[in-house]
Amino acid sequence: MAEHPSQEAPPRPSPLWGDLRALLPPTEEELKLDLGAAVTSSEVLLLREAIALLYAGRARESLQASEAALDFAWEQLNTGPWQDVDKGWRRAYALACLLKAVCLCHEPADATTVAEALKVCDMGLLMGAAILGDILIKVAAVLQAHLPPRKRPDRDPSLEQPLVKKARNGPLSTPDMEPESTVPRIRCPSLQHFREHFLLPQRPVILQGVADHWPCMKKWSLDYIQDVAGCRTVPVEPEDVGYLAQHQLFEQIPELKQDISLPDYCCLGSGDEDEITINAWFGPQGTVSPLHQDPQHNFLVQVIGRKYIRLYSPQESDALYPHETHLLHNTSQVDVEKPDLEKFPRFAAAPFQSCVLSPGEMLFIPVKHWHYVRALDLSFSVSFWWS
Amino acid sequence: MAGQRTGTWFGFGFCGFGQALGAGQTRQVLGPERLQAPADLLHVSAGWSYTALVTGAGRLQLSGAVCDEADGCEDAWAAERLLVVVRGRELQGWAPAAALHEKPLWTRVLEPDADPRPRALPLLPGAYVSPRPPFYRPLPGGLRARRLELGSEHALLLDAAGQVFSWGAGRHGQLGHGTLEAEPEPRPLEALQGLSVARVAAGGWHSVCVSESGDIYIWGWNESGQLALPTRSLAGDKSAIGQGTGELYTWGWGKYGQLGHGDTQSLDQPRCVEFFVAQQLRVQAVSCGPWNTYVCAMARENKTKSCL
Repeated sequence: MAEHPSQEAPPRPSPLWGDLRALLPPTEEELKLDLGAAVTSSEVLLLREAIALLYAGRARESLQASEAALDFAWEQLNTGPWQDVDKGWRRAYALACLLKAVCLCHEPADATTVAEALKVCDMGLLMGAAILGDILIKVAAVLQAHLPPRKRPDRDPSLEQPLVKKARNGPLSTPDMEPESTVPRIRCPSLQHFREHFLLPQRPVILQGVADHWPCMKKWSLDYIQDVAGCRTVPVEPEDVGYLAQHQLFEQIPELKQDISLPDYCCLGSGDEDEITINAWFGPQGTVSPLHQDPQHNFLVQVIGRKYIRLYSPQESDALYPHETHLLHNTSQVDVEKPDLEKFPRFAAAPFQSCVLSPGEMLFIPVKHWHYVRALDLSFSVSFWWS
Repeated sequence: MAGQRTGTWFGFGFCGFGQALGAGQTRQVLGPERLQAPADLLHVSAGWSYTALVTGAGRLQLSGAVCDEADGCEDAWAAERLLVVVRGRELQGWAPAAALHEKPLWTRVLEPDADPRPRALPLLPGAYVSPRPPFYRPLPGGLRARRLELGSEHALLLDAAGQVFSWGAGRHGQLGHGTLEAEPEPRPLEALQGLSVARVAAGGWHSVCVSESGDIYIWGWNESGQLALPTRSLAGDKSAIGQGTGELYTWGWGKYGQLGHGDTQSLDQPRCVEFFVAQQLRVQAVSCGPWNTYVCAMARENKTKSCL
């Protein structure tokens, strides 16, 4: 039997590999490891080895080294409180994810492998720290482009109707609200007016006509989100409810950022534009954010579905019985819609404002204002934390 | 004091840094392979990236990300950020990268111990070594510690009366006090009250103990099945146990072959490492590294002996 030379040659890299390789620095020397002193020299050694193997075209071996580096970094990320995890370890984790994702795609990769590589990228984005000029975002975009179009799973049509009573817990119906305690609404106030009447006196207000023309208001539907981001991995809690809460989705999936804008009123603050934290809140009917306060101002923009929101002034804090522990001192112990008035007697008399926030509306929650949120429908909100 | 151990050492699991484990060809060994080591190998202690071997003659061999040898060492304890060596009356703490050729990070003179039993690092008389500063940590005066094991962020202590204490971080339930709260000081495990515990061990985020009557108790993070309970997803940490009959059972995270079953499957139920049974070897000692396992075994005799 004649010997075919191709049987002995190393596997030819795929076109996807070419696209990914182009995102990496051209030479090994240009890939700077800037991990800091907390990352052990052994981990650095392994990462350097993985990089060297990758640049030498030995992707399979690089993958082995990357995996070990990834697993070890992951263990460090799971040691101690999250806020104490050294950023160097998060960078090491992100780097290992990058290397693994690229190595996975060295040989011609089927859809499953590309999806796996994308998942690895997302893990690097979710748990790692930014490296090499946000390279993981670029890699994710390339991988996503190489995936076949997603088949939309058959969805329960009742999910799309706002008034279906499917809530897992808590009251099922839209709450009754007394008119005098409703959050006021105002249409397109000038910067001056907003500042004078709401920002400075720290009074909540719903602004109309401000966000209602953002592309997201027309574009975003379950189908659209599925198309743009269906293949991506995001953090949800709890697992069985699947509430994507307080997640900087627009950092992870920049394409969605094009559908939203920064509220102009943020310029009234003292912080920089790039210090504004944008979070996505995406979940089924019935999700609840317990009564709590945040250390910054918040513009909460409603895109899909409606949310019932209750607001208490910081002056009422004592009547809201915040937790004693440091970790939870900005969270109330009281379940707003089912308060235990025996345990928390002062809560009943505490004055509040409430509203049902609808698509296109933007709620101003002043800094430290206590707020409780329940989704009346399948809901997508975008919050802007600014100072 | 020179010790003796008859038997052959085997290793399996992760050796991506070339630490003494298998033949040195691959990054991981999936089933037990004979360790290329001195015949009088006494202790094995493994960190993630390197392994420390100590012989009866007091020779210390480091292999993997750290390579060095030294004499006059009675015992060694290897952690990723700290290598602890006992040399005569002196306890030495080394940064592993500096191996044994520069200055140790710290040294301490050990008081002659009234207890005739050999020291079991990281436990010291009245104290223990931690891989993170402060390296030397005194134990409360009243404790008569027999054995101490460290997880990634917790500690387990077995006292002379067979009582178990735990302290450190508790977010994965590894402390066993029924909450997720941290404990700053050793706290006795109420759940094991009245039980006489013979051995304790700690994984990264879980704890194991064996009672005198041979029952195993495991608690903590079950992300890899290391609690020998069903888990939805598998990936994490492992447990190993040598039974009285000299059989080795392993379970938990198996991605690097550290369970020794010839594959990389993780298990949420204990499974006998068949290699030793097939080779008619009785397991004498087990030393678990973070991602690998070292086992000392010797040929079985014809009649069954009582447990070790």
